[in-house]
Amino acid sequence: MSYLGNKPTAVPLTSSDIQDGTITASDIADSTITSGKIASGVIANQSAFKNIIINGDMSIAQRGTSESGVTSSGYKTCDRWFIDNSNMGTFTISQSTDVPTGQGFATSLKYDCTTADASPSAGDVIWLRQKFEGQNLQYLKFATSNAESLTLSFWIKSNKTGTYNVALFGQDSAPTAQYLTKEYTISSANTWEKKTITYAGNTANGFDNDNARSLDLVFSFGNGSTYTGGTLQTVWSDYGTNADLFPTQGVNIADSTSNELFVTGVQLEAGTASDFEFLPHDINLKRCQRYLYKIHGQSGDQVIIPGATLVMATTNTVYATVPCIVPMRAAPSTSCASGATEIMLQNASTPTMGSFGQFDNSSVGQNNFYGCNHSVSASSGTPFTAGNNGGTLRTTSGVLTGFTYDAEL
Amino acid sequence: MITRVEKFYHPEKVNVVASYFVTYENGEVWSVPLDEANTDYQAIQEWISEGNTVIDNPPE
Repeated sequence: MSYLGNKPTAVPLTSSDIQDGTITASDIADSTITSGKIASGVIANQSAFKNIIINGDMSIAQRGTSESGVTSSGYKTCDRWFIDNSNMGTFTISQSTDVPTGQGFATSLKYDCTTADASPSAGDVIWLRQKFEGQNLQYLKFATSNAESLTLSFWIKSNKTGTYNVALFGQDSAPTAQYLTKEYTISSANTWEKKTITYAGNTANGFDNDNARSLDLVFSFGNGSTYTGGTLQTVWSDYGTNADLFPTQGVNIADSTSNELFVTGVQLEAGTASDFEFLPHDINLKRCQRYLYKIHGQSGDQVIIPGATLVMATTNTVYATVPCIVPMRAAPSTSCASGATEIMLQNASTPTMGSFGQFDNSSVGQNNFYGCNHSVSASSGTPFTAGNNGGTLRTTSGVLTGFTYDAEL
Repeated sequence: MITRVEKFYHPEKVNVVASYFVTYENGEVWSVPLDEANTDYQAIQEWISEGNTVIDNPPE
């Protein structure tokens, strides 16, 4: 080829030389682009279990789907969600089917104010909290220069519009527990809104690598003057002035019995926001059962306690070992509703199956992550043969509550 | 809120406390293991530090 003047210099083509939309997928041959050509971090948040929150879709409610008359703090209805309430109104907390349309959610957590408190005492709060184990947070690389930022996403709906605060509260005392608060606004009454909030990583303080509580996510839905009116900190800060914790919280959902608030689709993840991670029901349940394991019957049914083994220690005492369905966070506390569970034994001296005693809360002190050993006394007489094994534990017919194992944070 | 705590002795081992029986204000009774990672155990320690007394009836 001949040229007029100098021969043009060949210049490599760069991506900026290509007009957007010029190259379509059909222009690229199948299997042409390999994973090695994709820069690290370009495709974010594709890993399983990216959501630090457990039960963010409020689908698991082992304790029950509704609790009325809530005036104090504790775990109410939806698993893993701790309700902070220090006499700031009275609420019914429930698992609701009111959800944002077309987003894939089936349930939400609902606050329904049933007794108002428009003038709360200084230290009163109505908060929603989830607590996290430190060993599950190590990958965030806090306390290093590579600390990951965190993005919180959630859907919320309330008749109470205005400014709300939501914070990450560090819980490990060494070197110093720190917190970072953000604010968001509910703009339209009674309308589902999606909020996305980013928290910088904490390069100074990290998390203990153990099964204890290291970080809390805390939503304020109202609080007394102790916790508000201060200055919104823009960086991770030491606990100091309580008024700085939720300084711009302008709403109190306890101020009228007309108030309702719903929340679902809560996701806290490293890096930028991504679609909510829906987990299969069984996986979600097992993640919750690390903290609470509840075995109960259905109305009219009896349920055999899975895997329980019984040993007759004396003529009127049986040791019953009940395994946990998944290893629990710590040795759990145990409870059994009165009369809810009975022991059924095949006893050498009493070959007919029968109910010999009702399970109580006794424990022989060998509870651990994997199971619990219980001491069960016969309801009357000496029906057992010491040294014999066998039998079953089961819930009593028609009883909806049975064993509860609790290892919550 | 905790209203009552009682030591539960191991049925076979002599003078070995196996767990605590805890009664709450709502009437629920729980068996709490002697595990410092258990938050109910932590709450009992706080309850004791506030001046409350654990009922201790060792088997004879």
